[in-house]
Amino acid sequence: MELGRREIEVMANLLNSNDTQAEKNRAHFRKNNCLAINMIGSPGAGKTSLLEKSLPLLTRNLCVGVIEGDIFTSKDADRIAIYEVPVIQINTGGGCHLDSKMVNKVLPDFDWTAMDLMIIENVGNLVCPADFDLGEQFKVIVLSIVEGDDKPSKYPVIFRNAEAVILNKMDLEKLTDVNMESMKRDILAINPEIRIFEVSCRNGDGLNDWINWLSQKVNDYQEHKD
Amino acid sequence: MHEMSLMGGVFEVIEQTISQHNVKKVIQVKLKVGELTNAEPDALQMAFEAYSKDTIAEGAELIIERVGVIARCTKCQKEFSVKSMFFLCPNCENSNIKIICGEELLLESLEVE
Repeated sequence: MELGRREIEVMANLLNSNDTQAEKNRAHFRKNNCLAINMIGSPGAGKTSLLEKSLPLLTRNLCVGVIEGDIFTSKDADRIAIYEVPVIQINTGGGCHLDSKMVNKVLPDFDWTAMDLMIIENVGNLVCPADFDLGEQFKVIVLSIVEGDDKPSKYPVIFRNAEAVILNKMDLEKLTDVNMESMKRDILAINPEIRIFEVSCRNGDGLNDWINWLSQKVNDYQEHKD
Repeated sequence: MHEMSLMGGVFEVIEQTISQHNVKKVIQVKLKVGELTNAEPDALQMAFEAYSKDTIAEGAELIIERVGVIARCTKCQKEFSVKSMFFLCPNCENSNIKIICGEELLLESLEVE
Protein backbone atom coordinates (compact mmCIF):
# COMPACT_ATOMS: atom_id res chain seq x y z
CA MET A 1 0.00 0.00 0.00
CA GLU A 2 1.34 3.47 -0.91
CA LEU A 3 1.10 5.65 2.17
CA GLY A 4 2.38 8.89 0.60
CA ARG A 5 3.60 11.94 2.38
CA ARG A 6 2.53 12.18 6.01
CA GLU A 7 3.49 13.49 9.42
CA ILE A 8 4.31 11.27 12.38
CA GLU A 9 4.01 12.90 15.77
CA VAL A 10 6.85 11.74 18.02
CA MET A 11 7.38 14.08 21.01
CA ALA A 12 10.48 12.27 22.27
CA ASN A 13 13.10 13.67 24.62
CA LEU A 14 16.49 13.83 22.88
CA LEU A 15 18.24 13.18 26.17
CA ASN A 16 16.09 10.16 26.93
CA SER A 17 18.85 7.54 26.85
CA ASN A 18 21.18 9.74 28.93
CA ASP A 19 18.44 10.58 31.43
CA THR A 20 17.40 6.92 31.81
CA GLN A 21 20.96 5.88 32.59
CA ALA A 22 21.36 8.87 34.94
CA GLU A 23 18.38 7.65 36.98
CA LYS A 24 20.03 4.22 37.27
CA ASN A 25 23.26 5.87 38.45
CA ARG A 26 21.27 7.92 40.97
CA ALA A 27 19.66 4.72 42.27
CA HIS A 28 23.14 3.18 42.60
CA PHE A 29 24.36 6.15 44.69
CA ARG A 30 21.20 6.03 46.81
CA LYS A 31 21.52 2.30 47.40
CA ASN A 32 25.08 2.82 48.62
CA ASN A 33 24.13 5.87 50.68
CA CYS A 34 26.76 7.92 48.85
CA LEU A 35 26.16 11.55 47.90
CA ALA A 36 27.34 12.20 44.33
CA ILE A 37 28.09 15.71 43.08
CA ASN A 38 28.88 16.95 39.59
CA MET A 39 31.58 19.62 39.63
CA ILE A 40 31.55 21.91 36.60
CA GLY A 41 33.70 24.88 35.57
CA SER A 42 35.78 26.36 32.77
CA PRO A 43 39.29 25.07 32.08
CA GLY A 44 41.57 26.67 34.66
CA ALA A 45 38.79 27.74 37.07
CA GLY A 46 40.43 25.62 39.77
CA LYS A 47 38.26 22.48 39.94
CA THR A 48 41.20 20.16 40.57
CA SER A 49 42.87 22.68 42.89
CA LEU A 50 39.66 22.85 44.91
CA LEU A 51 39.70 19.05 45.17
CA GLU A 52 43.35 19.08 46.25
CA LYS A 53 42.55 21.54 49.02
CA SER A 54 39.25 19.92 50.01
CA LEU A 55 40.21 16.24 50.11
CA PRO A 56 42.53 16.41 53.16
CA LEU A 57 39.73 18.18 55.09
CA LEU A 58 36.87 16.00 53.85
CA THR A 59 38.66 12.70 54.43
CA ARG A 60 39.04 13.43 58.16
CA ASN A 61 35.43 12.36 58.58
CA LEU A 62 34.28 10.96 55.26
CA CYS A 63 35.17 8.26 52.78
CA VAL A 64 35.49 10.10 49.46
CA GLY A 65 35.94 8.92 45.87
CA VAL A 66 36.67 10.94 42.76
CA ILE A 67 35.80 10.49 39.09
CA GLU A 68 37.94 12.69 36.89
CA GLY A 69 36.67 13.70 33.47
CA ASP A 70 39.23 14.88 30.95
CA ILE A 71 39.42 14.93 27.19
CA PHE A 72 42.78 13.16 26.80
CA THR A 73 45.09 13.13 29.83
CA SER A 74 45.23 11.56 33.28
CA LYS A 75 46.99 14.62 34.76
CA ASP A 76 44.10 15.48 37.10
CA ALA A 77 43.72 11.90 38.37
CA ASP A 78 47.48 11.77 39.01
CA ARG A 79 47.18 14.94 41.10
CA ILE A 80 44.30 13.48 43.12
CA ALA A 81 45.85 10.02 43.66
CA ILE A 82 48.48 11.65 45.93
CA TYR A 83 45.71 12.21 48.50
CA GLU A 84 45.13 8.47 48.80
CA VAL A 85 41.51 8.54 47.73
CA PRO A 86 40.15 6.13 45.11
CA VAL A 87 40.15 7.98 41.80
CA ILE A 88 39.15 6.84 38.31
CA GLN A 89 39.96 8.79 35.17
CA ILE A 90 37.48 8.95 32.29
CA ASN A 91 38.90 10.19 29.00
CA THR A 92 36.19 11.41 26.68
CA GLY A 93 38.52 11.27 23.64
CA GLY A 94 37.52 14.68 22.32
CA GLY A 95 34.06 14.82 23.91
CA CYS A 96 33.25 18.12 25.61
CA HIS A 97 31.27 16.65 28.55
CA LEU A 98 30.78 13.52 30.62
CA ASP A 99 27.55 11.60 30.12
CA SER A 100 25.72 9.15 32.35
CA LYS A 101 26.90 6.08 30.41
CA MET A 102 30.56 7.00 30.82
CA VAL A 103 30.02 7.41 34.56
CA ASN A 104 28.09 4.13 34.78
CA LYS A 105 30.98 2.22 33.19
CA VAL A 106 33.40 3.15 35.98
CA LEU A 107 31.06 2.60 38.93
CA PRO A 108 32.10 -1.08 39.36
CA ASP A 109 35.73 0.06 39.74
CA PHE A 110 35.03 1.53 43.20
CA ASP A 111 34.53 -0.18 46.53
CA TRP A 112 31.17 1.22 47.65
CA THR A 113 30.93 -0.41 51.07
CA ALA A 114 31.91 2.70 53.02
CA MET A 115 31.76 5.44 50.38
CA ASP A 116 30.11 8.65 51.66
CA LEU A 117 30.84 11.12 48.89
CA MET A 118 31.61 10.75 45.16
CA ILE A 119 32.91 13.90 43.50
CA ILE A 120 32.66 13.83 39.71
CA GLU A 121 34.88 16.46 38.14
CA ASN A 122 33.46 17.17 34.69
CA VAL A 123 35.41 18.20 31.58
CA GLY A 124 36.43 21.88 31.73
CA ASN A 125 33.47 23.59 30.08
CA LEU A 126 30.62 25.83 31.30
CA VAL A 127 28.29 25.02 28.42
CA CYS A 128 27.94 21.40 27.37
CA PRO A 129 27.97 19.60 30.76
CA ALA A 130 24.90 21.59 31.83
CA ASP A 131 22.55 19.53 29.65
CA PHE A 132 23.80 16.08 30.73
CA ASP A 133 22.55 14.60 33.99
CA LEU A 134 25.09 12.11 35.37
CA GLY A 135 22.86 10.84 38.18
CA GLU A 136 24.35 13.25 40.70
CA GLN A 137 22.38 14.71 43.59
CA PHE A 138 23.38 18.23 42.60
CA LYS A 139 25.80 20.31 40.56
CA VAL A 140 28.50 22.59 41.94
CA ILE A 141 30.14 25.28 39.80
CA VAL A 142 33.71 26.43 40.22
CA LEU A 143 34.16 29.90 38.72
CA SER A 144 37.36 31.84 39.12
CA ILE A 145 36.74 35.55 39.58
CA VAL A 146 39.40 36.41 36.98
CA GLU A 147 37.17 34.90 34.29
CA GLY A 148 35.12 38.10 34.61
CA ASP A 149 31.96 39.25 36.39
CA ASP A 150 29.93 38.84 33.18
CA LYS A 151 30.23 35.05 33.10
CA PRO A 152 27.12 34.13 35.12
CA SER A 153 24.85 36.13 32.83
CA LYS A 154 26.59 34.72 29.75
CA TYR A 155 26.19 31.09 30.90
CA PRO A 156 22.87 31.21 32.79
CA VAL A 157 21.80 27.60 32.20
CA ILE A 158 24.47 26.08 34.40
CA PHE A 159 23.96 28.68 37.15
CA ARG A 160 20.23 28.01 37.11
CA ASN A 161 20.84 24.30 37.62
CA ALA A 162 23.51 24.33 40.32
CA GLU A 163 23.18 24.10 44.09
CA ALA A 164 26.37 26.03 44.87
CA VAL A 165 29.04 28.13 43.21
CA ILE A 166 32.59 28.43 44.46
CA LEU A 167 34.09 31.77 43.45
CA ASN A 168 37.76 30.86 43.37
CA LYS A 169 40.98 32.93 43.19
CA MET A 170 39.65 35.54 45.61
CA ASP A 171 43.29 36.34 46.45
CA LEU A 172 43.52 37.99 43.01
CA GLU A 173 40.55 40.32 43.55
CA LYS A 174 42.65 43.45 44.08
CA LEU A 175 44.72 42.75 40.98
CA THR A 176 41.72 42.69 38.67
CA ASP A 177 38.80 44.93 37.69
CA VAL A 178 36.24 42.30 38.62
CA ASN A 179 33.08 43.74 40.16
CA MET A 180 32.16 41.21 42.86
CA GLU A 181 28.87 42.89 43.71
CA SER A 182 27.72 42.72 40.10
CA MET A 183 28.88 39.11 39.76
CA LYS A 184 27.00 37.97 42.86
CA ARG A 185 23.90 40.01 41.95
CA ASP A 186 23.76 38.29 38.54
CA ILE A 187 24.23 34.83 40.06
CA LEU A 188 21.39 35.41 42.52
CA ALA A 189 19.11 36.85 39.81
CA ILE A 190 19.55 33.65 37.82
CA ASN A 191 19.27 31.36 40.84
CA PRO A 192 18.10 32.96 44.09
CA GLU A 193 18.53 29.66 45.96
CA ILE A 194 22.18 29.08 45.02
CA ARG A 195 24.82 29.05 47.75
CA ILE A 196 27.87 31.24 47.03
CA PHE A 197 31.31 30.54 48.54
CA GLU A 198 34.24 32.94 48.15
CA VAL A 199 37.42 30.91 48.23
CA SER A 200 41.10 31.09 47.50
CA CYS A 201 42.53 27.65 46.81
CA ARG A 202 45.95 29.30 46.82
CA ASN A 203 45.88 30.56 50.42
CA GLY A 204 43.01 28.44 51.78
CA ASP A 205 40.69 31.35 52.63
CA GLY A 206 37.00 30.45 52.68
CA LEU A 207 37.57 26.71 52.39
CA ASN A 208 36.09 25.87 55.78
CA ASP A 209 32.63 27.24 54.94
CA TRP A 210 32.55 25.15 51.78
CA ILE A 211 33.75 22.00 53.56
CA ASN A 212 31.24 22.44 56.40
CA TRP A 213 28.40 22.99 53.94
CA LEU A 214 29.34 19.95 51.83
CA SER A 215 29.79 17.74 54.92
CA GLN A 216 26.34 18.80 56.12
CA LYS A 217 24.93 17.90 52.68
CA VAL A 218 26.44 14.41 52.97
CA ASN A 219 24.93 14.07 56.42
CA ASP A 220 21.48 15.24 55.25
CA TYR A 221 21.59 12.86 52.29
CA GLN A 222 22.58 9.90 54.43
CA GLU A 223 19.84 10.69 56.90
CA HIS A 224 17.35 11.19 54.04
CA LYS A 225 16.82 14.84 54.88
CA ASP A 226 17.72 16.06 51.38
CA MET B 1 30.05 20.87 20.54
CA HIS B 2 27.65 18.62 22.46
CA GLU B 3 25.12 19.09 19.67
CA MET B 4 26.66 15.98 18.09
CA SER B 5 25.63 14.00 21.18
CA LEU B 6 22.14 15.51 21.06
CA MET B 7 21.89 14.62 17.38
CA GLY B 8 22.77 11.04 18.34
CA GLY B 9 19.58 11.17 20.42
CA VAL B 10 17.63 12.56 17.44
CA PHE B 11 18.76 9.67 15.25
CA GLU B 12 18.04 7.06 17.91
CA VAL B 13 14.46 8.35 17.95
CA ILE B 14 14.27 8.56 14.13
CA GLU B 15 15.46 4.97 13.74
CA GLN B 16 13.05 3.72 16.37
CA THR B 17 10.15 5.62 14.78
CA ILE B 18 10.75 4.52 11.19
CA SER B 19 11.16 0.90 12.31
CA GLN B 20 7.50 1.06 13.42
CA HIS B 21 6.21 2.76 10.26
CA ASN B 22 6.52 2.04 6.57
CA VAL B 23 8.94 4.84 5.63
CA LYS B 24 10.90 5.29 2.39
CA LYS B 25 12.27 8.72 3.08
CA VAL B 26 12.34 11.30 5.84
CA ILE B 27 11.46 14.72 4.43
CA GLN B 28 11.33 16.93 7.47
CA VAL B 29 12.44 16.72 11.11
CA LYS B 30 10.96 19.12 13.66
CA LEU B 31 12.74 19.83 16.94
CA LYS B 32 11.65 21.90 19.92
CA VAL B 33 14.60 23.47 21.70
CA GLY B 34 14.08 25.46 24.90
CA GLU B 35 16.12 28.60 25.50
CA LEU B 36 17.09 27.24 28.91
CA THR B 37 19.24 24.58 27.26
CA ASN B 38 22.63 25.07 25.72
CA ALA B 39 21.73 23.62 22.31
CA GLU B 40 22.74 25.98 19.56
CA PRO B 41 20.62 25.86 16.35
CA ASP B 42 23.49 26.32 13.86
CA ALA B 43 25.53 23.58 15.53
CA LEU B 44 22.45 21.31 15.54
CA GLN B 45 22.03 21.95 11.81
CA MET B 46 25.64 21.02 11.14
CA ALA B 47 25.37 17.90 13.30
CA PHE B 48 22.16 16.92 11.49
CA GLU B 49 23.88 17.09 8.10
CA ALA B 50 26.75 14.96 9.36
CA TYR B 51 24.47 12.35 10.96
CA SER B 52 21.95 12.12 8.11
CA LYS B 53 24.52 11.44 5.40
CA ASP B 54 23.85 8.09 3.71
CA THR B 55 20.65 7.55 5.72
CA ILE B 56 17.03 7.85 4.62
CA ALA B 57 17.02 11.26 6.30
CA GLU B 58 19.75 12.64 4.02
CA GLY B 59 18.59 15.92 2.49
CA ALA B 60 15.68 16.25 4.92
CA GLU B 61 14.80 19.69 6.22
CA LEU B 62 15.57 20.34 9.90
CA ILE B 63 13.17 22.78 11.54
CA ILE B 64 14.11 24.05 14.97
CA GLU B 65 11.48 25.81 17.03
CA ARG B 66 13.03 27.83 19.85
CA VAL B 67 10.88 27.83 22.97
CA GLY B 68 11.09 30.86 25.24
CA VAL B 69 11.33 30.52 29.01
CA ILE B 70 8.00 30.79 30.84
CA ALA B 71 7.68 30.43 34.60
CA ARG B 72 4.91 30.40 37.19
CA CYS B 73 5.20 32.06 40.57
CA THR B 74 4.53 29.54 43.34
CA LYS B 75 3.11 32.31 45.56
CA CYS B 76 0.81 34.45 43.41
CA GLN B 77 0.52 31.89 40.54
CA LYS B 78 1.31 34.54 37.91
CA GLU B 79 2.73 33.12 34.70
CA PHE B 80 5.42 35.24 33.13
CA SER B 81 8.05 35.21 30.42
CA VAL B 82 11.60 35.15 31.81
CA LYS B 83 13.55 37.91 30.11
CA SER B 84 17.34 38.27 30.25
CA MET B 85 17.47 35.26 32.58
CA PHE B 86 16.05 37.22 35.53
CA PHE B 87 14.15 34.63 37.55
CA LEU B 88 11.92 36.72 39.81
CA CYS B 89 8.15 37.05 39.71
CA PRO B 90 7.43 40.50 38.20
CA ASN B 91 4.22 40.68 40.23
CA CYS B 92 5.34 39.88 43.80
CA GLU B 93 9.14 39.54 43.39
CA ASN B 94 9.05 36.03 44.80
CA SER B 95 12.09 33.97 43.80
CA ASN B 96 10.40 30.62 44.26
CA ILE B 97 9.19 30.01 40.72
CA LYS B 98 8.52 26.95 38.61
CA ILE B 99 9.78 26.77 35.03
CA ILE B 100 6.86 25.71 32.82
CA CYS B 101 8.65 25.70 29.49
CA GLY B 102 12.01 26.55 28.02
CA GLU B 103 13.89 23.44 29.16
CA GLU B 104 12.73 21.09 26.40
CA LEU B 105 14.91 19.22 23.95
CA LEU B 106 12.32 17.34 21.92
CA LEU B 107 11.87 15.64 18.60
CA GLU B 108 8.35 16.86 17.91
CA SER B 109 7.49 15.17 14.61
CA LEU B 110 8.75 13.66 11.39
CA GLU B 111 7.39 14.23 7.91
CA VAL B 112 7.95 11.10 5.87
CA GLU B 113 6.90 9.33 2.73
